[in-house]
Amino acid sequence: MAALTAALTAASTLAQPATPPAKAQACAACHGIDGNSTTPLYPVLAGQTTRYLYLQLRDFQEGRRSNELMSPMVAGLTRDEMRELADWFAQQKPRSTGFKPDPEKARLGKLKADETLCTMCHLGGFAGQNEIPRVAGQHRDYIVKQLTDFKQGKRTNDAGNMTSVARTLNEKDIENLANYLGGL
Amino acid sequence: MDRIERRARAWRQSHAWGAAVASAAFAWGAHAQEVAGQAAAAASGMAVPTSVSVPQARLDAAARDDKNFLLTNGNYAQTRYYPAKQINTTNVARLKPAFIFQTEVVESMETAPVVVDGVMYITTSYNHIYALDAATGKEFWHYKHKQGPVTTFCCGPNNRGVAVLNDRVFMATLDAKMVALDAKTGKVLWSTQIADPEKGYSETMAPVAVDGKVLIGTNGGEYGVRGFVKAYDANDGKLLWTFYSIPEKGHEGVWAVNDATGRNMLRDIAAEKKTLADKGGDFYQTLGGGVWMAPAVDRESKTVIFVVGNPSPDLYGAERPGDNLYTNSMVAVDLETGAYKWHYQYIAHDVWDLDAASPVILTEAAGKDGKMRKVAIHGGKTGHVYVHDRATGELIRFSEAMIPQENMWVLPTKEGQRMLPGANGGVEWSPMAINPQLRLAYAANLHQPMTYHVEEAKYPGGSKLWLGGAFKVIPGEKQSGRLVAVNIDTGKIAWKFDTDQPLIGGVLATAGGLVFNGEGNGLFRAFDAKTGKKLWEYQCGAGVNAPAVSYSVGGKQYVAVAAGGNTQIDFKRGNSVVVFALP
Repeated sequence: MAALTAALTAASTLAQPATPPAKAQACAACHGIDGNSTTPLYPVLAGQTTRYLYLQLRDFQEGRRSNELMSPMVAGLTRDEMRELADWFAQQKPRSTGFKPDPEKARLGKLKADETLCTMCHLGGFAGQNEIPRVAGQHRDYIVKQLTDFKQGKRTNDAGNMTSVARTLNEKDIENLANYLGGL
Repeated sequence: MDRIERRARAWRQSHAWGAAVASAAFAWGAHAQEVAGQAAAAASGMAVPTSVSVPQARLDAAARDDKNFLLTNGNYAQTRYYPAKQINTTNVARLKPAFIFQTEVVESMETAPVVVDGVMYITTSYNHIYALDAATGKEFWHYKHKQGPVTTFCCGPNNRGVAVLNDRVFMATLDAKMVALDAKTGKVLWSTQIADPEKGYSETMAPVAVDGKVLIGTNGGEYGVRGFVKAYDANDGKLLWTFYSIPEKGHEGVWAVNDATGRNMLRDIAAEKKTLADKGGDFYQTLGGGVWMAPAVDRESKTVIFVVGNPSPDLYGAERPGDNLYTNSMVAVDLETGAYKWHYQYIAHDVWDLDAASPVILTEAAGKDGKMRKVAIHGGKTGHVYVHDRATGELIRFSEAMIPQENMWVLPTKEGQRMLPGANGGVEWSPMAINPQLRLAYAANLHQPMTYHVEEAKYPGGSKLWLGGAFKVIPGEKQSGRLVAVNIDTGKIAWKFDTDQPLIGGVLATAGGLVFNGEGNGLFRAFDAKTGKKLWEYQCGAGVNAPAVSYSVGGKQYVAVAAGGNTQIDFKRGNSVVVFALP
């Protein structure tokens, strides 16, 4: 929590847009206008770092990451538009997804997270930093899908870090991690 | 200040503004204004009520100064040896907190306070600076750096402190700038962009100010940067010289087979040579080699001596055939020009992230013939203390291993290979200290068993962590720490003190026969420098993962240390500088 506070303090040094940029309307259907998606397979964008969001948009646009919905959505965005969108969603407050983790799975998930040194990159409290996403409170289903995609080599825009980590996880590990992180 | 000096200063400042605006040109859109606007920023609070002035002569005499702590590592030789003995082995057990200063940033603290005539300068994560009364903790001014739109750093939003020169304090920032502030008021005098953060550059190190210059290296060994040390004019922020820690030509080196201790590093040199011949050597632009801890300065020979971090990507070496000079090396350059003098590489073609980080210490030690020589020493992540001839870089000796070593240098695989020490050390960034009378160097070590995993990964652009693999700790294997005293004349271990948690943060030695060191569990301790006997400890409430300092005000000696925890090893965060004195 302390780390989260500090991270938000730093984020708040950016200018605070009062209203969402026009292009954010297109994101709202899946992610919510304030970045709090209610569909478990669509990620919560609220509270991510602006850096992470911008880079993911750029990767979708330049083909380093692909998704049948996202890839066409970002195809026509300018760099400034991607920056505006990233700023907007980064400055929204993440809300609880309402996910109720299985306590035993969450316990095992924490052990696996410690072993895998997750916080070295994702920061204490899994708040995210720079180009590393906030995964605390993310949808359980989305976490499972991303870790599985990394493991299976379907998502490869991570410079070898997450693909390498995910290779060492089995399905139970992924389920446990998703319970732990989704419940934070 | 007379009229001419005022006019000269106004001219310098106006030109510094220009430089700042111009250098911010590659920042994005509206954010560029924020970057340029730094030059107008001011600290909140009040001016320091006394004059603050640290001319060069005072900095040169810092090693003998028993009242102040003028550089983050004590002096240009970086001995971290404080020459006062009011607090000593006979009374340290009575040490009590004098005050606790809490900052507004609760996050990893790695700052070493700088103390000038009773005024303390501390920094925090995210680049705040506080000026405090060093005897009471009263806050004078507080400067918050307004970050530009891009910050890229691997291991926490840390800052390790300021440099002072004349009436100024200098801090480098996460958005890869250098700012110069009026030491009395906190007003920004100039701000200049060191490198482009979108390419992975950032700053966590404390600068070093010397002879009108401010020296700074860079983070980025995890981001595919081209490392450097730069010198800026302390007056106006103008760039004076750049030394690239990755040469454009010749970075393949001598195709070294063995590491500095003579062990075979299991390189496939034929395959590396073929790759180099096939693809060329243009990867020097992304080869890493950050210089992320403060350099030592040999004032006699006008030489800057520092260590260089790991090649990039950390674990996937196939992208970067050759020795990857000058990564994982000690390097000496000319203070006036930045021209190369010598280097010594510890690990060629590193694929374990065992970069050289702990700051170089300049001292004297016995040569192989027993005669005293001027040396430069370094505590490695390998767990050895290395002793070099200061004029040539020749390795005179390396110490006994301070922590367990196993399976060195097994190559990483996709499934993971176990090798000790882990990627964080031995001695991580933690500065060592020495006691020149006892002939001992004190090193804070980590024992963190890990497996090394490699994954093919092309350069992803300069804005993403680029490890090309991962490190994992080993379930069920205990991680721990060890404070070790090494005889620099023999390389033998004189004593050791084992701790529950890996040690990261640094060491202070004093003429009172003491050694101070903290642990991630919040315990800050004093040891008998000669025997290693624990004499005192205090629970600071958050991880003590910063190097302590000592100073005196009004005839009273103080010991200060930041307790803010650590991002890299996830030790409990806090926001305090705890200052101790005898009752």
